[in-house]
Amino acid sequence: MKITLTVNGKKYEVDVKPNETLLDVLRDKIGIKSVKAGCWRGECGICTVLLDGKPVKSCLVLAAEADGSEIVTVEGLMKDGRLAPLQKAFIEHGAIQCGFCTSAFVLTAHWLLSRNPNVTREEVIEAINGLICRCTGYEQIIEAILAAAKYYKK
Amino acid sequence: MSLILPKFEYYKPSTLDEALELLAKFKGDARILAGGTDLIVDLRSRIKKPKAVIDIKGIKELHKLEYIEGKGLIVGATVTLNELLEHPIVKSKFHVLYDSVRQLADMQLRNRATLVGNICNASPAADSAPALLVLDAKVKAVSKRGERVIEIKDFFKWVKKTALEPDEMVTEVFIPEPPEGSRGKYYKATRNVEDLAIVGVAGLVAYPNEPSKRIVRLAYASVAPTPIRIYEVEELFKRDEPLPKLIDEAVNIALRKVSPITDVRGSDWYRRHLVDVLTRKLLIELFLEG
Ligand SMILES: Cc1cc2nc3c(=O)[nH]c(=O)nc-3n(C[C@H](O)[C@H](O)[C@H](O)COP(=O)(O)OP(=O)(O)OC[C@H]3O[C@@H](n4cnc5c(N)ncnc54)[C@H](O)[C@@H]3O)c2cc1C
Ligand code: FES
Ligand code: FES
Repeated sequence: MKITLTVNGKKYEVDVKPNETLLDVLRDKIGIKSVKAGCWRGECGICTVLLDGKPVKSCLVLAAEADGSEIVTVEGLMKDGRLAPLQKAFIEHGAIQCGFCTSAFVLTAHWLLSRNPNVTREEVIEAINGLICRCTGYEQIIEAILAAAKYYKK
Repeated sequence: MSLILPKFEYYKPSTLDEALELLAKFKGDARILAGGTDLIVDLRSRIKKPKAVIDIKGIKELHKLEYIEGKGLIVGATVTLNELLEHPIVKSKFHVLYDSVRQLADMQLRNRATLVGNICNASPAADSAPALLVLDAKVKAVSKRGERVIEIKDFFKWVKKTALEPDEMVTEVFIPEPPEGSRGKYYKATRNVEDLAIVGVAGLVAYPNEPSKRIVRLAYASVAPTPIRIYEVEELFKRDEPLPKLIDEAVNIALRKVSPITDVRGSDWYRRHLVDVLTRKLLIELFLEG
């Protein structure tokens, strides 16, 4: 079946099978490798993308279900080929080591801060509960997100 | 585990009639897809191998979340858990439901997962189930043959088994207005934030200091083949006796009624211990707040 996806503002028409997930299609058919696969069962959150504005775990979404929707991956946060302040905050705070989990955390943080730039530490923790990082110990990630909040205040 | 999903036919009906037609046609060889957070995991691990998957998110009338003052809350089959949490009335009136859904999975999953999917999956650990049990929720089941209302206490039949017939699906859950003056709470013991309950306890209490009017309801997850409400404690609390004594008796009744198993999350002994500790904690807190 043919589906239409808008990924980071660009429209794609892709031929998919019912048993392909959004994760499969983004990586293998559209070629966006920043979306990682970890557990394939909803536990690690590494496959997180924004689907119509909301963070979801793309290994548990069928490509067919996403037909007609808008997807944002971490590349979509960049402006004119430059990193967004949130992305820079991750680098500045040492919130990245191997980087495998980074796009999932950045996308989730972007959603969180766009909704509420006055988030508390607890709200940050609650939002990233479902994401696993094997390197940083989370502290730096939390700090990066809190530090980036100021860029979301209008 | 194979990473590739097995083959199935995918349907996305835009009306309820079409969905019911498909369910009738596939005679039990079709599965409804709501948020997919259980179904896709079960497909990938080959626990479920349906011929057809029926995505109900195109059916507009199922996306209904409506509060009728004095009556209760209607939660349609495609309403996600985060949509439920964001509805102000859920937080202010349906405390025990809010409390349990907040502890269900994680934020990303709750953007997809539905309340109806949680009960239709019929896990003994379903976090929303004890809350729906103490709130006396009613499940609307519909097929081409007609519709019926199933009381939530009759909905869970066994591990992963509901009262639904193969050609039936749930369109909505109705949650009556909680008893006047009541407060509710859910305690969930877990290994980490994103895990099923080792034990979950939902409580609802009203008028703790007036024995004749007093209401106490308790329901549990992960202590029996299905989520269970323990009705036997309810009469007990009508007695005009000291609350500490009644709490002791309630805990004893609960311990007699549960039949926990030993699994990766905990032993049956530990689960009994949690039933004891969490029931006391929950009741004491609800009595003090009330
Ligand atoms: C990592 C992870 C963590 C989780 N943590 C928790 C947790 O802490 N607590 C908890 O309770 N659950 C947890 N779950 C399980 C799951 O997320 C919930 O049960 C969720 O509410 C299911 O809703 P859904 O809409 O995604 O259901 P789906 O996967 O779409 O459906 C679930 C089942 O119900 C059937 N079904 C769905 N809707 C209908 C309908 N309208 N009529 C008839 N049948 C229907 C489907 O065919 C399927 O068999 C977790 C899952 C994952 C992957
Ligand atoms: S790969 Fe999707 S949650 Fe782990
Ligand atoms: S930086 Fe390595 S997993 Fe998070």
